[in-house]
Amino acid sequence: MTVSLQLASLLRRYGTFLGFLLIVSFFWSQRPETFMTTRNWLNITQQVSILCVISLTMTLVMVGGDFDLSVGSMASLSGMIAAVLWQQEVSLFGALGAAILVGGFGGVFNGVLVAYAGLSAFVATLGTLTIFSGLALLVSDGKTIFGRAIPEIVGDFSRGGISLTEGIQLPNLTLIAVSVLIFMGIVLQNTVFGRNLHAVGGNREASLLAGVPVARLRLIAFVVNGVGAAIAGLMLVSRLSSANPTQGDGLMLNAIASVFVGMTMSEEGEPNLFGTLTGVLILGVLSNGLTQLRIDTYVQQILTGLIIIAAVLFSRLSLRRR
Amino acid sequence: MRQNLFIFTGILLLALPQFLFAQSRTLAVLTPFLAQPGTQLMVEGFEAAAKSKGWQVDVIDTSGDVAALVSRMEDVALQKVDAMVINVDPSQIRNGLLAAKDAGIPVFGMDSGADPLLTANVTSNGYVMAAETATYVVDQLNGTGNVVMFIFEPYPPVQKRGAIAESIFNNEPDIKIIEKITPSFDRGPLEGARNAMEAVLTANPTKGSIQAIWAAWDDPALGAEQAIRDAGREDEDIVIVGIDATEQARDRIAARGNLKATVAQDFNGIANTVANTVEQYLKSGSVSRSQIYVSAKLVTADDL
Repeated sequence: MTVSLQLASLLRRYGTFLGFLLIVSFFWSQRPETFMTTRNWLNITQQVSILCVISLTMTLVMVGGDFDLSVGSMASLSGMIAAVLWQQEVSLFGALGAAILVGGFGGVFNGVLVAYAGLSAFVATLGTLTIFSGLALLVSDGKTIFGRAIPEIVGDFSRGGISLTEGIQLPNLTLIAVSVLIFMGIVLQNTVFGRNLHAVGGNREASLLAGVPVARLRLIAFVVNGVGAAIAGLMLVSRLSSANPTQGDGLMLNAIASVFVGMTMSEEGEPNLFGTLTGVLILGVLSNGLTQLRIDTYVQQILTGLIIIAAVLFSRLSLRRR
Repeated sequence: MRQNLFIFTGILLLALPQFLFAQSRTLAVLTPFLAQPGTQLMVEGFEAAAKSKGWQVDVIDTSGDVAALVSRMEDVALQKVDAMVINVDPSQIRNGLLAAKDAGIPVFGMDSGADPLLTANVTSNGYVMAAETATYVVDQLNGTGNVVMFIFEPYPPVQKRGAIAESIFNNEPDIKIIEKITPSFDRGPLEGARNAMEAVLTANPTKGSIQAIWAAWDDPALGAEQAIRDAGREDEDIVIVGIDATEQARDRIAARGNLKATVAQDFNGIANTVANTVEQYLKSGSVSRSQIYVSAKLVTADDL
């Protein structure tokens, strides 16, 4: 391989990441006193932590060749389940466990519909999106649960963290996102399950013929994603010190966008964790930096959309040119 | 590399005019509800008041996303603005309020709920507004009839309205609440209310089976009125009332159709009172009251 070809390959692989670094440099140059500070970066990691968790587990589903539209409403539902249980004086961990179980069951439901009943992931998870959303409204009676119903420790958790220096701490929510990243990294890179799931996403028919338990792997991916959505929903309740039946709904589109941006960072255009993380950080840094630059919030939305399209479009063009 | 250049240039081009024209900022207005007419009126009123006081104002809207609003409050706190003004339920943005508190930035509620972390909140009295329209319905019905209610429980200020109207109707022995509906927001509350009302009309086909519709805000009142017109049942004299007195509601009331009354929150008055309260705080470091009510007024066709 010639040097120029190697360079082209590197650019194709890390172009989006370089774009991210350029965005960071731009904001740094414009707001030197506030943007590139430890406090601001810890802020950003905390702000993207919830999206990060949901996007990382969504990556798993997308590695298997499926996707899940129901993650946002599952996040709302699981957060709501915990809040309702706390309101009924169920113990802290009892409610957390129940919420995560609900996420797991939701994942099983999605997985069975898609992997065993043969429904398209789009249709099945569009249906469950509506079901989970309705359940969140039903269990809460449509109300926001806040105040004393939410244990103080839940709200305090998102404000706490590991103290680094005077007044600076590594936020707990960031730590959860990092833990999920490490876990997903191990699952996808270092387990037979992860390698087989890649094979399923790459060529389902060939995997079936090779004896890979395709349906079971897809089901497991959905279950992990359901649990991920539940964890994200609980993080959201902690961050807002309240539970609202629709508060997680916006996560789904951003999660899918992050995975798609991340897919530009793979030679074959496959979902990958590092890429998803970059996608999540791009979205987070854009919101943070553009707010600091006082860019109109509607212009921010347009810019974010344009950057997502640009990243995916250029990656597609460079793939075609190969 | 072209990809990166494209991104970089895009940001540069779109960002440049913004900070060419506005270098220093003093106040930030943050809300997830800027698409709501009432919020728009308040934000515009506040911007006008702030301009007259020589303040710079940044308006940040997160399009319904409350978690994003908390993040933006943290960003703004880092920017050390002089004050934040919010239009959102404060119980849902506790982390944002604490970030402001840590940064020593006062936060003022503009038609928010009361919260100890707010320096002050300026609002209309939701209980009084709901009581105004509910008693109007009772009076129009001479204390007898079937009422459909459009409520919205997730947002506490609107939930309050429903609670008080319900108690007033329940206190009248001959008034019966036949439906309590939370309109779907999928295509906006107006469309959601219209669809729900069509179903209620279908379920109650007999003329005179519904005497009134009480809505916790104007959009569902307008949607219900459209459904009644579409069903050709406008001659049944069903009394509809809303709250907020939006332009569209005023038009319909002036047309003397089924929509008979609404309550005008004095959005401009709220905005001006917030601006004056902020000014008072910035000058003296304190406010006279932390919960300030601005009067609202019942609007009927005779007022238009």
